[in-house]
Amino acid sequence: MKILAIAATSVQRLFRDRTNIFFVLLMPMLLILVLGAAFGGESDPRLGIVSGGSGALESDLVERIEAIDGVAASRWDDRATIILAIERGQLEAGVVIPEGYDEALLAGEKVNVEFAAKPEESAQALTITVQSVLTDQGAILQAASYAESKGAGTFAESLARAEGIAATAKGLDVEQSSAGEPFVFDQLGRFELGAYSQLLLFVFLTSMTGSTALIQSRQLGVSERMLSTPTSVRTILLGEALGRFAVALVQGLLIIVGTALMFGVDWGDPLGAAATFIVFSLGASGVGMLMGATFKNDQQAGGIGVMIGIGMGALGGCMLPLAIMKIFSPTLWKVAHITPHAWGIEAFEELILRGGTIADITLEIAVLSAFAAVVFALGAWRLRVSLTK
Amino acid sequence: MNGDGLVLECRDLRRAFGDLQAVDGVGFSIAEGETYGLLGPNGAGKTTSISMICGLLERDSGEVVIDGHPLTTKSVAEKRAVGYVPQDIAIYPDLSAKENLNFFARLYGLSGVERKKRVDEVLEIIGLADRANDRSEDFSGGMKRRLNIGIGLLHSPHLLILDEPTVGVDPQSRNAILESVENLSTEGMAVLYTTHYMEEAERLCNRVGIIDHGKIVAEGTRRELIELVGQRDRIRLRATGNIEAAAQATASMPGVYEAAARDDGLDVLVDNAADALTGILGTVAAAGVSVSSVDVDEPNLEAVFLHLTGRALRD
Ligand SMILES: Nc1ncnc2c1ncn2[C@@H]1O[C@H](COP(=O)(O)OP(=O)(O)O)[C@@H](O)[C@H]1O
Ligand SMILES: [Mg+2]
Repeated sequence: MKILAIAATSVQRLFRDRTNIFFVLLMPMLLILVLGAAFGGESDPRLGIVSGGSGALESDLVERIEAIDGVAASRWDDRATIILAIERGQLEAGVVIPEGYDEALLAGEKVNVEFAAKPEESAQALTITVQSVLTDQGAILQAASYAESKGAGTFAESLARAEGIAATAKGLDVEQSSAGEPFVFDQLGRFELGAYSQLLLFVFLTSMTGSTALIQSRQLGVSERMLSTPTSVRTILLGEALGRFAVALVQGLLIIVGTALMFGVDWGDPLGAAATFIVFSLGASGVGMLMGATFKNDQQAGGIGVMIGIGMGALGGCMLPLAIMKIFSPTLWKVAHITPHAWGIEAFEELILRGGTIADITLEIAVLSAFAAVVFALGAWRLRVSLTK
Repeated sequence: MNGDGLVLECRDLRRAFGDLQAVDGVGFSIAEGETYGLLGPNGAGKTTSISMICGLLERDSGEVVIDGHPLTTKSVAEKRAVGYVPQDIAIYPDLSAKENLNFFARLYGLSGVERKKRVDEVLEIIGLADRANDRSEDFSGGMKRRLNIGIGLLHSPHLLILDEPTVGVDPQSRNAILESVENLSTEGMAVLYTTHYMEEAERLCNRVGIIDHGKIVAEGTRRELIELVGQRDRIRLRATGNIEAAAQATASMPGVYEAAARDDGLDVLVDNAADALTGILGTVAAAGVSVSSVDVDEPNLEAVFLHLTGRALRD
């Protein structure tokens, strides 16, 4: 099989260059480690606080929350930003202290402190912790108000004395709310969101830079010489593409198996995940071949390839999740679907988040297959033109 | 192979690049066992013609028939008959000689034991058997050239096309290359050989087409070409005795155009020195002149080219 001979030689040459061993095999492993550190690991839950006023009681509450052990607290401007941050996974939960907190409490009115979180286990634990802080403050408040009513000095004096006295709080309530609409990735582990979008981004990027191999073959005159043998343009293109595809497969397997073993990432229905990854990689190899057939200069193609790879990845939802993109700009979300990345991501989300099987992602698989077919046809045509002028 | 033993026939090949008519009606044919030379200066259109013959370049007009089958850029199976050795070395520098040969052997459709055997044979032919596993980027210019040629020999093609295979090689490698080409044609391979070195064309080629500005301006055996332009062999005899009498006697011999006496001998112009020499020596001896040395100046293709185009082959 000539296609196999061309593919094998292409892979053989790739690994002759030691730097490629790093980029193709070690980089994905490094990436997994970096992602694991960023998304995984046991770090303190992050809690955002919105505190508009400057009253003594409000400051006291903020200090108490900030003093909680094992919680990374930070200040935020308003309710909207904190909710968005929770949706984006930048925070696990948020506490919103209403305006006029001190005034309302001193007037003996009921005050609602809002607690927003994703419906996750870690957030449940946070709810309980924050609740206990509020209860603490409530107890002291009650003691102070009792002392004041007995003529034991001003409220402020009584408050100071009342600290440390335990009692039951009545005036303070924590109102719990979930942050906005439930997003698909609310149900995701921290790491899974990173894993499948990184997989697509990375494999596509490698195919782009791999296009330089075909350009080098042409520069060396080897492609033309191959065409002087009884070998068709299509065979040459498919052979080179198969070489790239084999590399993509190895990389992809490293990422999938590596994340599954090291971080317990669940990739969903194995058949569906394999099908999605394979048709996506075919399309990526096809785009690489199209570039390799079109560009004359390998360095230029390498640079443009990286730009296209990152650009399409970003547009396709590998960096900003598609669900969020859809809220900010439905138009952009539609445009994103010209990239294979968007279809690949949606297929993986169906498999991983909604427990779908290959039967649920036939549309995505069909679109990705059609994409691969089109870029291969274009690539074969461009290569013939460039070789026979 | 078709009945008339022609391995390659091409007719009326034309190709322009913009305003430049690079090839302008080239046509010739090559028979089994024949070595045909395309001799012309740089830019004459040799490589462009070859690219069209190999189906690597679209042509504006003309046709190519190899082993009786038409060949175009779309042909695949027909290319099995051709071994193409490009002018610019086309090998993977990061692969060894053996890996390069194995790769192309697969593309030529060789497999298994046959491929192994052929790769080893070719390594012997090109003298790289002891460097078979070294990366070709570490080879000398001559070794790379030899590997470049070896790839075209792998499948024992009916037609071997060599495009200026000796450019930039040391004299030793060059001689080795010329010798192997001579051997190949005696084995019955048809060879198309382009060069701008007159000596190579004279040494290797049964027939030569002189190409200039995209046209074949003359074609034939070396002798036919030389006769075409009226050039003759000159025999110089260093001699003592009655030189005048010897010159007169020689001048009246058939096939002799001119015989002139000099101080130390005589100059004779003939059609073919090899045929005439014995007779002339006899005549001169009969005139009582003793000859101490003989020199033959044969006009060469360089002179033919100069005559036809008014320019030297190399400037
Ligand atoms: N791809 C091309 N584009 C433009 N001009 C070309 C191209 N290839 C060859 N030429 C021109 O065509 C002419 C013939 O070139 P070539 O066939 O390479 O000559 P040779 O092989 O005899 O040295 C030259 O003037 C050359 O510059
Ligand atoms: Mg040339």
